[in-house]
Amino acid sequence: MEALKVKDLTKDFGGVHALSDVSFSVEIGERLGIIGPNGAGKTTLFNLINGQLPPTSGRIYFFGQDITTMPTHSRAHLGQSRSFQITSLFLNLTVLDNTLITLHGIKPSRFQMLRPTTAYANLFAKAQGILTSIALWEQRDELVKNLSYGEQRKLEIALTLALEPKMLLLDEPSSGLTSAESAEITDMLKKLGRDITVLLVAHDMDLVFGVAERIMVLHYGKIIANGKPEDIRADPRVKEIYMGMEKNAGTTKVT
Amino acid sequence: MELVLASLTNGISFGMVLFLIASGLSIVMGLMGIVNLAHGALYMVGAYVGWTIAVQLKLNFWLGVFVGGIAGALAGLLIERAFIRRLYKQPNEQVLLTFGFVYILSNLIIWIWGGHRRLQFTAPALYGSMDVAGMPFAKDRLAIIGIGIIIAVILWWLQEKTRFGAIVRAGMDNKEMTTGLGINLELVFTIVFFLAAFIAGAAGVIGAQLLGAYSWLGTDILLWALIVVVVGGLGSVQGALLGGIAIGLIDTFGKALFPQLAMFTIYLAMIVILLAKPSGLLGRKA
Amino acid sequence: MTTNKIIEAIRQPWQLQLIRFSPYIAGALILVMLPAVMPSYVQTVWTRFLVFALFASSYDLIYGHAGLLSLGHAAYFGAAGYAVAALILHYNVDSLWISLSLGILIAVLVSAGFGFLALRVSGMYFLLVTFAFGEALYAFTWNMPWLSTPGMQGIAGLPRPSLGIPGFSWNTLNFYYFILIIFLICFFLVYRIMNSPFGHALRGIREGESRMRALGYNTWLYKYIAFITTGAFAGVAGTLFIYYNRFISPTHVSVTTSFMPMIMVIIGGSGTLLGPVIGALVIVFTEYFASLFTPERWPLILGAVFVAAIMYARGGISIHLSRLWKRLNNRYGSIKS
Repeated sequence: MEALKVKDLTKDFGGVHALSDVSFSVEIGERLGIIGPNGAGKTTLFNLINGQLPPTSGRIYFFGQDITTMPTHSRAHLGQSRSFQITSLFLNLTVLDNTLITLHGIKPSRFQMLRPTTAYANLFAKAQGILTSIALWEQRDELVKNLSYGEQRKLEIALTLALEPKMLLLDEPSSGLTSAESAEITDMLKKLGRDITVLLVAHDMDLVFGVAERIMVLHYGKIIANGKPEDIRADPRVKEIYMGMEKNAGTTKVT
Repeated sequence: MELVLASLTNGISFGMVLFLIASGLSIVMGLMGIVNLAHGALYMVGAYVGWTIAVQLKLNFWLGVFVGGIAGALAGLLIERAFIRRLYKQPNEQVLLTFGFVYILSNLIIWIWGGHRRLQFTAPALYGSMDVAGMPFAKDRLAIIGIGIIIAVILWWLQEKTRFGAIVRAGMDNKEMTTGLGINLELVFTIVFFLAAFIAGAAGVIGAQLLGAYSWLGTDILLWALIVVVVGGLGSVQGALLGGIAIGLIDTFGKALFPQLAMFTIYLAMIVILLAKPSGLLGRKA
Repeated sequence: MTTNKIIEAIRQPWQLQLIRFSPYIAGALILVMLPAVMPSYVQTVWTRFLVFALFASSYDLIYGHAGLLSLGHAAYFGAAGYAVAALILHYNVDSLWISLSLGILIAVLVSAGFGFLALRVSGMYFLLVTFAFGEALYAFTWNMPWLSTPGMQGIAGLPRPSLGIPGFSWNTLNFYYFILIIFLICFFLVYRIMNSPFGHALRGIREGESRMRALGYNTWLYKYIAFITTGAFAGVAGTLFIYYNRFISPTHVSVTTSFMPMIMVIIGGSGTLLGPVIGALVIVFTEYFASLFTPERWPLILGAVFVAAIMYARGGISIHLSRLWKRLNNRYGSIKS
């Protein structure tokens, strides 16, 4: 059984084909890196897998189950955990609140209306464990918006693991971070157990090539390459896309 | 047959008044993302000012329409520039603010004009009825329909055929990109708000021939306008027109055919739309 | 770390808990003792304050915590009131227990119905729809002769509730205490809901609904439950209101009444426990004083105060009070664990 199987996935916005007939699979425990220029459809792909957007056509299978029309919150219960490109933490709530809300997400007690959250000592213990491991326990009553961007990102990534997910969907986890902070994230991802499957969208090549065992390249909504990191690095088509981008960033025009 | 025609003209002319006020509300909602709850109050301000010009001062009715429009526009301008603009990026607070202004404007009107009479007045030239193809039609209803069509055409032309309209539509779809293209979106907001408020105020005088003016007209007409926006769809002149005429007809024929249901036919229409197509008949945004 | 040590770390010693709760205890004591020494017409103002404090607290659940701007909240308040009034008018039932249950039931049914339809849309549309439903109910109560004492709009001459206690009769003071007891019970329930996982989830939805869904929360269900809960508490307030007011009219279902909890929440501070109560205190008593001097201009003043509060008093009075409280705590209290 594959962790994820995507078949002929297409997403159109008005006249724009964000994704066209995308098909691929991810084995359990695999680390898949997804790269491609801006607008290639990487975040759209995540939005389809995680359920924020419905596909125009195609099917998505998660651990053998057809989740194509399943709402996002149900997918979390099946074991998906996602981080967003722009930090999505609750800025006006405290670090501790953010953590507790995250931890309750897949627990039945999340519907409890009359007992205070302080009554759930196990979750508190877990929260303390998580926050201590990223050195944010002392700031637990601080509003998230008062943390540095690097601390916010660290928290967000740590929280994606808090749900003990089967699959991580990380969208540009190191964007906006210093190289030291990115290295921390790379290390953390390398240390993850094989019971977690990781899908990683990133522009940071050190991160991608450091973590991914297989890399998929998207361009204008289509997969143009899918293979081992060394092969992708050497692939002439991939080089052309990125070279084209580099040249455009400078002053030379590219046909 | 005469009854049906009368209901038809009543319904469509009422629908035109609704279109006038709903169009401003809808465009402001679509562009600025806020519900201007005071929009109905602006209509009411226009109606009362128009009454003063046309009836108290016995000046020309159409002058009253214009001055009513200006009054509405100035009140709207004040609200937008001095208050709404200061609450940048806080849509909930902006809406609450307009709600506060409904209170203030309604009570100011009671203070200035007194609260208890229902003022109804018509342009002297539009008294009575005229024959069209052998059937009698009320002149003021016909005039309202005519004015409504003209304004609809002008607004549609503005929306579809001018650069300004394109900017407004772009702003509705994607604010960041529009600003990124170097367009002063804040100025566009003010202009749109001003225009919408002017039309509301002028509509207040035009519509006074049908609805009159009374101290809680602001809330009543707001309610009508909101239902028109829900039914017709947000953000376009066409949506407001279709919604306006639909509601005008539903209400008029509803009252004629099912008098016990009275007001509720329009709520029924709203509920049907909410269940079947929440974005409205011609809705731009879901 | 063992679970016990964690609990020690997060639960504070009883002295600190007492200090934390002292404002509430002080408030409760004031509410119990102060009105007893006031003349009876002032006692009625205190009663009115409690009814509206409950109404405002109910509104804050959906606005301050869930972040949903709903207009037309008086629909649930008034629907409960009308149900109880109609019961008295047509069936002569004035037992408190039956009335209160019916009031809450009707408010829940109305909010369940309106909420279901309103939550099919979001943001601006949600606002419009809740407003329209409120006005629909207003038109309904205006047009139904069954909902009026003959010859007028609304139902008048309502008696105080019957408690089923032989030999008991109402006066202003014991009626006030009766309302106070119900208010305190409801206040405690709201407090628990605010601090529960459900309450936390509502605030999460307010701050980022998309993320909440990705975390596994069925946000629609939360909003719906919050809406109905809000309706239920508004229904309690509505039931108490007609016992206090002894008269109900279509205005109590309309926008003018919906406005009340909104301005109280804004002035007192949304998303807090005490905010709505403080707001209600300010508005009800100011209204009382204004009614002695400028009764016609009061709505205008209210509107102006509302606008001023939105523009300048961000976070309401309770934010300033809680900052003051924190400063006092830091100077005289002990450090937290």
